[in-house]
Amino acid sequence: MGWYLAQQLINAFSYGSILGLLAVGYTMIYGILGLINFAHGEIFMIGAFVCFFLVTLYHVPWVVGALGAVAGSTVAGLLLERLVYRPCVKRKAPVLTVFIASFGASLLLRFLFMMFFTDRRRAFPIPELFEKMYFLGGVAIGLRDIIIFVTTIVIMSLVACFIKYTKLGTAMRGVSYDAKTAQLMGINSTRIIVAAFAVGSALAGISAIEYGLSFGILNPAMGFMPGLEGFIAAVVGGIGNVPGAMIGGFLIGVGEILFVALLPPALSPLRPLFVWALLFVILFLKPTGIFRPNVKFEGLWGE
Amino acid sequence: MTSGKNALRIGKFSLWLAIVIGALLLLETNLRGFHLGVVLLFGINAIVCLGVSVTNSYTNIFSLGFGGIMLIAAYTTSLLTLPVRYKSAFLDLPLWLENAQWPFVPALIAAGVVAVLCSVVLVLPAFRLRGHYFILASIGINMVMTNIGINLRSWTHGPLGIRNIPFYTNIWWVYGILFLTIFFVWKLLRSKFGRAFVAIGKDQILASVLGINVVRYKIYSFIIGSFIVGIGGALWVHYIGAMHPHVFELVFVFQVIAMLAIGGSGTISGAILGAAIITFFTQLARPVQEGFTLFGLEIPPLIGLIQVLVAMILILVMIYRPQGLLGRYEISWATFREHIPAALRKIREEK
Repeated sequence: MGWYLAQQLINAFSYGSILGLLAVGYTMIYGILGLINFAHGEIFMIGAFVCFFLVTLYHVPWVVGALGAVAGSTVAGLLLERLVYRPCVKRKAPVLTVFIASFGASLLLRFLFMMFFTDRRRAFPIPELFEKMYFLGGVAIGLRDIIIFVTTIVIMSLVACFIKYTKLGTAMRGVSYDAKTAQLMGINSTRIIVAAFAVGSALAGISAIEYGLSFGILNPAMGFMPGLEGFIAAVVGGIGNVPGAMIGGFLIGVGEILFVALLPPALSPLRPLFVWALLFVILFLKPTGIFRPNVKFEGLWGE
Repeated sequence: MTSGKNALRIGKFSLWLAIVIGALLLLETNLRGFHLGVVLLFGINAIVCLGVSVTNSYTNIFSLGFGGIMLIAAYTTSLLTLPVRYKSAFLDLPLWLENAQWPFVPALIAAGVVAVLCSVVLVLPAFRLRGHYFILASIGINMVMTNIGINLRSWTHGPLGIRNIPFYTNIWWVYGILFLTIFFVWKLLRSKFGRAFVAIGKDQILASVLGINVVRYKIYSFIIGSFIVGIGGALWVHYIGAMHPHVFELVFVFQVIAMLAIGGSGTISGAILGAAIITFFTQLARPVQEGFTLFGLEIPPLIGLIQVLVAMILILVMIYRPQGLLGRYEISWATFREHIPAALRKIREEK
């Protein structure tokens, strides 16, 4: 039992890493814009597709493909911001309007990819080097799991440092906490929004590569469930709170895998149900998530 | 004097009723297959839009959970009306439900009632949440319902779905219920309830200061909205004749939201206009999506084209006209009697 649990925990940590990176993207964009970027899952999907095309069709080295995925996601996020959100924000549209637009953008991207590349599942390119397994007692640890986990920890530390210590990060926190005052202090909020989209989308691209490495498949609808779960993770961690989102991602990922692993197999199809039950329980106990949300709530949504 | 006025009103009313019935009769005798389907789907979508607008537009609780509510209503009515032979062959139901053979109307009402109960049970805990938290919880209602539909195989036959559901839906039912719904929502907006809903939608704190019990009226709003939406789901399943756990998933929810957003939320005519635009557009674009030959040039099938176009329209409307095409303007008798002539006169005078 002990080995089994350890094995499941290792699996869980790679899924938690994927969700954590997505959650950070959600939380950053929410913090700056006060907007749920519903299309974040689709940005994630675009990253996986870029890597697939570069490596499988154009035979570039895998590392270049992975960097391309991050770049592709970032470009997709920036285009989304430029073409959909900025016009809405410029016209001072209500938050709900922008949310509906982001809902539309999400379906637009998903069905655009479905239209051109069909709904078929494809194999994500995994370099042979990564297939190595290490055995530690009764536990098999894939090199992939180690890479995923280490990358996530490194990237998250970098993001945390970026938010905490750089000038841009401080400005982002300022806009997130109180946009009007931050603007009065001479912070260009458009630049901050662009930065938040760039960082969040790049994280989604990294997360997409990790997803591909871990599951080995991609299709146009792949962004939906991880996107939603990443969003849940962001809410669980207190929306707008970057370290909270990281912890929330691990919490949801680990909880989900352990739910499937520890309960009888008959219950395993209920996995999505478990995530929502967990969310409801957490929101019941602490309606703003586990950690302090880094946003002001007055005037939001007209309430 | 008053009796004369009343007689005039009754006469006018019967004239309009006759015109509407005549038009429906004309539609029923002339339309077949695809075109009939488009007209029926428009009616059903309009009913659903009106139901959703009660909660999402008037009371301003932006819920995406109505897909799950429709799903449970559709399952209720299909289980109540399925042939007993089919139920005993494919499903494993309790005896009373297996032998149930309800006529259409009671099954429809039962579907509405189950939808109401289910929505109240699910939404009550979510009322503690606000803004984006509520939206997330309401998406959860959809996911939970879909998941139950997939996993409760003895009742729903899982992802394989149910077939052989009797085709009860026709033009008379759909448009009868649509006109009833329009009348009901119109009356609702002029009643104590409707005014309380709109007050909550405009400013929740102000409404509570004015002595409106916000949570109670939000629940009333959900009861009314879910009942209408549930009836819409039941009509849909009796039109399609088959049921599947994924039918009312987020893509469907998105289409309804797009209808409301494009038509103009906050009015009855906006909801109906939106339903008309999206339904006719999606149905007429279907042949394009399935591929066709144009002057010897073969256009390949583009699955998903409809959703892409709807999403594009929605984004453009949200950017350039966020209040929807009609905005807060309600099309009524005054439109034809006063507003259009006045506008025409103004144009003429300017010339």
